[in-house]
Amino acid sequence: MKHAGVLLAVIALLMPHILQADTSDAKARGLEIATQADERDSGWQFQSSDMEMILRNRAGKESRRKISTRQFEVEGDGDKTLSLFQEPRDVRGTAMLTFSHGLEPDDQWLYLPAIKRVKRISSRNRSGPFMGSEFAFEDLSSQELDKYQYRHLRDEACDPYQCYVIERIPRYENSGYTRQIVWLDQTEFRSIKIEYFDRKDELLKTLDFSDYQEHPGGFWRADRMEMTNHQTGKSTTLLWFNYDFETPLKSGDFNKNALKRLL
Amino acid sequence: MTWVQRGLRYLRLLAVVLWASAFASPAPADVSKQFELSLQGQFFPGLSSDPADIREQFFTGIEAEFSSDFDSEHLIGTFLPYGRIASGGGEMNHVDIRELNLLYTQDNWEGIAGISRVFWGVTESGHLVDIINQTDQLEGFDGEDKLGQAMIRISRLFDQSTVDLYALPGFREREFLPPGQPLALPFTISDDKPLYGAGNEAQHMDFALRLSGYQGIADYGLSWFSGTSRDPEFVLQSTGTYRPRYPLIHQAGLDLQLTLDSWLWKLEAIHRTFESDTVTDDFTAIIGGTEYTIYGLADALFDLGLLAEWHGDSREDRTTVPMQNDLFAGLRASFSDTQSSEFLAGIFSDLDDGSDSVRVEASRRILGDARITLEAQSFVNVDSGNALSYLKDSDFIVLSLQLFF
Repeated sequence: MKHAGVLLAVIALLMPHILQADTSDAKARGLEIATQADERDSGWQFQSSDMEMILRNRAGKESRRKISTRQFEVEGDGDKTLSLFQEPRDVRGTAMLTFSHGLEPDDQWLYLPAIKRVKRISSRNRSGPFMGSEFAFEDLSSQELDKYQYRHLRDEACDPYQCYVIERIPRYENSGYTRQIVWLDQTEFRSIKIEYFDRKDELLKTLDFSDYQEHPGGFWRADRMEMTNHQTGKSTTLLWFNYDFETPLKSGDFNKNALKRLL
Repeated sequence: MTWVQRGLRYLRLLAVVLWASAFASPAPADVSKQFELSLQGQFFPGLSSDPADIREQFFTGIEAEFSSDFDSEHLIGTFLPYGRIASGGGEMNHVDIRELNLLYTQDNWEGIAGISRVFWGVTESGHLVDIINQTDQLEGFDGEDKLGQAMIRISRLFDQSTVDLYALPGFREREFLPPGQPLALPFTISDDKPLYGAGNEAQHMDFALRLSGYQGIADYGLSWFSGTSRDPEFVLQSTGTYRPRYPLIHQAGLDLQLTLDSWLWKLEAIHRTFESDTVTDDFTAIIGGTEYTIYGLADALFDLGLLAEWHGDSREDRTTVPMQNDLFAGLRASFSDTQSSEFLAGIFSDLDDGSDSVRVEASRRILGDARITLEAQSFVNVDSGNALSYLKDSDFIVLSLQLFF
């Protein structure tokens, strides 16, 4: 009994270390998977696409937005993104330029065509809804590796793929989430599903990716994304068209003064 | 005629030829078109029921925008005519070419020739630095509407800054609200053509230079303007009417915004000097203030912005300068609903004589694509010695519907 007591005491002392070893393994594995996913989606340099957003309220009533986007990859920093609003027509010509900086606040400008004014805006509102949709600004922003802390949870089937399931906790300030759970397919490291947990750690939204297409350079893009808000019953569908990884874009096209000359 | 004016004439001709060919050639370049139809009612409940007073009036306006890249990587052409018909007709009907220009871009260079509009500045409750275009007083009391200005602009774009050089031929006079109109100036404007500081009058070539850019949290602009002032002085005639006079001026301008998390700090300052002996002395004016936003109120239903801006002017004369020592304080609510509803309420207070004016703006999208806007201003308490005392009975409500095609 004496020995058993010592053994128990030793186990009790070691327990936290054993658990910690387990979590730090899971963290290392999570980071490893996220790093691979990030590397798979690096090196595209520039891309452009058109997006249609279909907003649905609880009663199923729809409203639509159309946005053209251009992106410029920046090595060692967040990407530069230009969004040009086409519909609804009352905001046509409005453009938003974002220089994302990972953990630092993004630089963001808005161009208002009716008064020809370029305004620097605060990027603090990461958790706010984008154009009244179920997507928050942070859901659509440049996904840099260092924006989250990762943990590998398990591997499981995610029809028709086999998936890694990882948890990621935002490291940037003012996120609307305590954590997200991401399903990545094991062959191409594409996002298949993301669950978002609100500040009370309750399931808030689910994002489903489908209709993946492979583009030149081996970059995969989902043509359809479906965001469902479980707490409000609202949903938003994003449909992507005209992906172009080949027509060159220059860093100079992503300039706050160039916002005035978009067509 | 100077070489610049001659050059501009050729460029206008080129613009017309390109436009015509875009429409007429067998394989026409893609021209994007959009139209905005606006219906507006203006109401002045404080005016008497005397038939001479206009207590309400209605406007129908149309703005068209045509743009094309003429199948070229480097060119963009824009044509933007505007016109409106007033219920009262006459001088309140209004036509203007807001834009008719060709923009050429090549690497880090950009050039524009033709009629265009330009905005400079950062503050919300007033604009000091903005000087290129003449204010369109027929369209709105807030001075946000501008007449198209003929120009040649050459710009060099750097990574974080831009230098713009402007040559501005063809000065445009201010169009005043006709006598009897609510909000019209309290004296009669002479029908004679205006007086000018420049010997060649409206033909004088104005120049402007601007350096603008950003560095970290700071967005800045430094500007210089040399030419005919867009703001007239008024010279009393023997007939008792006032004749507008546009002096020659030099104006240095600074605009600065610091974006610090939820705080925006804004400053605009100008120093204007007059080229010859005029009724006005050189002066300095500033607007400075802040906007603080609280995000995601009422379960992320809206963001609330708190605004405060101070207006100062070295002329210090409250009887002639409306914003000599005035404070604007306001609230802005931006809703995250699918109609993008916006609401702004604010008060302008003259810190010298206590005059107050309250302003409200609200808008939301309706019918999918249209927008409805309410704008109201009340001159609640205007001291008889204040430059705006003539407006004391001119409280107004403007209701507008914009339809887009």
